[in-house]
Amino acid sequence: MKNWWKATGLAAAGAMMLAGCSGTDGGSGSGGEDGETTLTAWAWNVNVGALEDAMALYQEENPDVKIEVEDIGRLDVYDKLSTGLAAGGVGLPDIVLVEDDRIGGYAQAFPDGFLNLSEKGFEDNADQFPSFKQDLATVNDSFYAMPFDAGPGGMFYRRSIFEEASVNPEDIETWDDFLEAGKKIKEATGVAAMPLDKFNDDPTFRMMLNQLGTYYFDENGNIDLTSPEAVMAMEKQMAFEEADLIKEVDGWNGTVSATIDGSVATIPFGAWYYGTIIDQAKDTSGDWGVFLLPAFEEGGNRASNLGGSSWMIPSGGDNEDAAYDFLEFFSTSPEAQVIAMEDYGLFPSLNAAYEEEVFTSEDEFFGGQKIWELFADEMADVETPYYTEDYALGLDEAIKAQADSFNGTDPAEALKAAAERLAERTDREINN
Amino acid sequence: MKQKALIPYMFVGPAVILFSIFMAYPIIYSLILSFQSGQGSNLEFTGFDNFQRLMSDAIFITALKNTFILLIVQVPIMIFLALIIASLLNSALLKFKGLFRVSFFLPAVTSLVAYSIIFSIMLMNDGVINQVISAVGLDRIPWLSDPFWAKASLVIAMTWRWVGYNMVIFLAGLQNIPEELYEAASMDGASRIKQFFHITIPSLKPVILFTTILSTIGTLQLFDEPFVLTNGGPSDATLTIGMYLYQTGFRFYDFGYASTIAYVIVILIAVMTFIQFKVTGDQE
Repeated sequence: MKNWWKATGLAAAGAMMLAGCSGTDGGSGSGGEDGETTLTAWAWNVNVGALEDAMALYQEENPDVKIEVEDIGRLDVYDKLSTGLAAGGVGLPDIVLVEDDRIGGYAQAFPDGFLNLSEKGFEDNADQFPSFKQDLATVNDSFYAMPFDAGPGGMFYRRSIFEEASVNPEDIETWDDFLEAGKKIKEATGVAAMPLDKFNDDPTFRMMLNQLGTYYFDENGNIDLTSPEAVMAMEKQMAFEEADLIKEVDGWNGTVSATIDGSVATIPFGAWYYGTIIDQAKDTSGDWGVFLLPAFEEGGNRASNLGGSSWMIPSGGDNEDAAYDFLEFFSTSPEAQVIAMEDYGLFPSLNAAYEEEVFTSEDEFFGGQKIWELFADEMADVETPYYTEDYALGLDEAIKAQADSFNGTDPAEALKAAAERLAERTDREINN
Repeated sequence: MKQKALIPYMFVGPAVILFSIFMAYPIIYSLILSFQSGQGSNLEFTGFDNFQRLMSDAIFITALKNTFILLIVQVPIMIFLALIIASLLNSALLKFKGLFRVSFFLPAVTSLVAYSIIFSIMLMNDGVINQVISAVGLDRIPWLSDPFWAKASLVIAMTWRWVGYNMVIFLAGLQNIPEELYEAASMDGASRIKQFFHITIPSLKPVILFTTILSTIGTLQLFDEPFVLTNGGPSDATLTIGMYLYQTGFRFYDFGYASTIAYVIVILIAVMTFIQFKVTGDQE
């Protein structure tokens, strides 16, 4: 008899364990009985605070809505999102932040995974955003994401280093000008022109492609890595390597430490890097400036964009409508966007926000330069990068082409080999 | 009486239920997945297409080559080192045995990701190791950015991590070799080195087989070290099949193809283990 009880006890314990495991209806928030709604969201880094502050603003009109934002690492958000979507939408939040280069991939890989915003009427807001941002949030002519921040490109530079080498950043108009300036700076101060994680990431190459109106893929989804523009961009980057002007850094942390210790004269990045500079390099206030990416030829396009993200709503949640309503407010409210920019350095893509006062103000940390005006003016000229749903594969192959170039392969050949591998992996055509 | 007949099932019940949910179900589901293709949730049955695609997939073949190079170079070095250290630490002449044994075993306790990060910092272009090398007056070595040195870095890191683990297994095996064998050999004038090759190694044969199989399985599934240390680069020079599986599933969302890779790894491990059993010719 005694044994029998023990056995039942064990079985009960086992059953309880199982129950514990299966109780994962995930982060999906619940509509409370008293009409209160709690939205759940996944985001990373400074975006979390921006979202929370926007909710505080939203609550003035909608006191019944709350938000719980989980601060998850950028790549972990994607891993969790992919796993949840692959499992048929289990355990997903009401709102998720997705970078622009991934929107198309997600929306096409999981066509039923996200709320079609056009069906909710988001079309009416479309012309409030720059055209490239609209293109990025649209898949098969429907909006699947609400545009949030953008990354208009710029060269963040150290005034003191430029002055020591007596280089005037205003005289730098083309990449060749910048190459000469870089040599002069190296000679006078020993400092490299720019940082790069040569074998693992290609942000500078991507900005150059965007500047030249091309990308890994073209508008029709064909592979564009062998275009004369792509070859020119990679060769330009290699010219800096041959002059020993690129400092090799280890990922994001390496770039940030090079930024702080002044071992590079410029950092070519998106406007969002402002937030990191003022946060991590506090002692260098006043020593910074920005100029646009140099053009490839005199008078050529200097506008570019790197990164930026948008909000998506996983479909099937209980709070779809509440999430849509809040995000629509956030995306189209100049006030909320300016808070995100001033407090978190997230550059808005809402055209109306650029009318706000802060966009004509001088930035003390950047030596009184009107940097926001510079970035805002740049936005209208940014070309659309065509990421496609195979962007992750394109990035993988482009980084290999860059690594091969740095290990001695001719850039044109490295890009050709990468394009061929990419064609094999994606069944896409290679241009010309 | 009836109750009594039920009792055994109650004991095995929880284990069977847990096993079927967390092991059997994924194993069967991924087998089904391996015959499907498409991105994300757009999966459709394509029969053996995935397996065919794998045979002509240049990146998979590169990953396979890398994995086998690591296997052929790293496993013998590691097993041999572990054997030597084990027999040295087993020597009756040695003082502070405990201290040495613990020191050699300690790396095996560290987390895979943590030690890989430390190695990646030390092996950086201007990291500690290159600073020492250039202080001695030699050229810096592009540890993580050159295709050859990136593989060498992996071999060094993995050997550091796993030698102690295998050493402990060998130490246990050494305790079973009768002392008389060594005494007799010494009487006959066999040197220490001869004793090592003619007594220690043959006596440890089953243990060596065991560690080799474990290491082979470990290398075929290798993921953490290349993921952290080199990210598979430069240009796929250190991409392993384990990493390619992860990339295919979670970076490129092709879960069907990723499952196919997983099954091919399983088949490879089975074949390799079978060959090792045959080659070492276990009599039983």
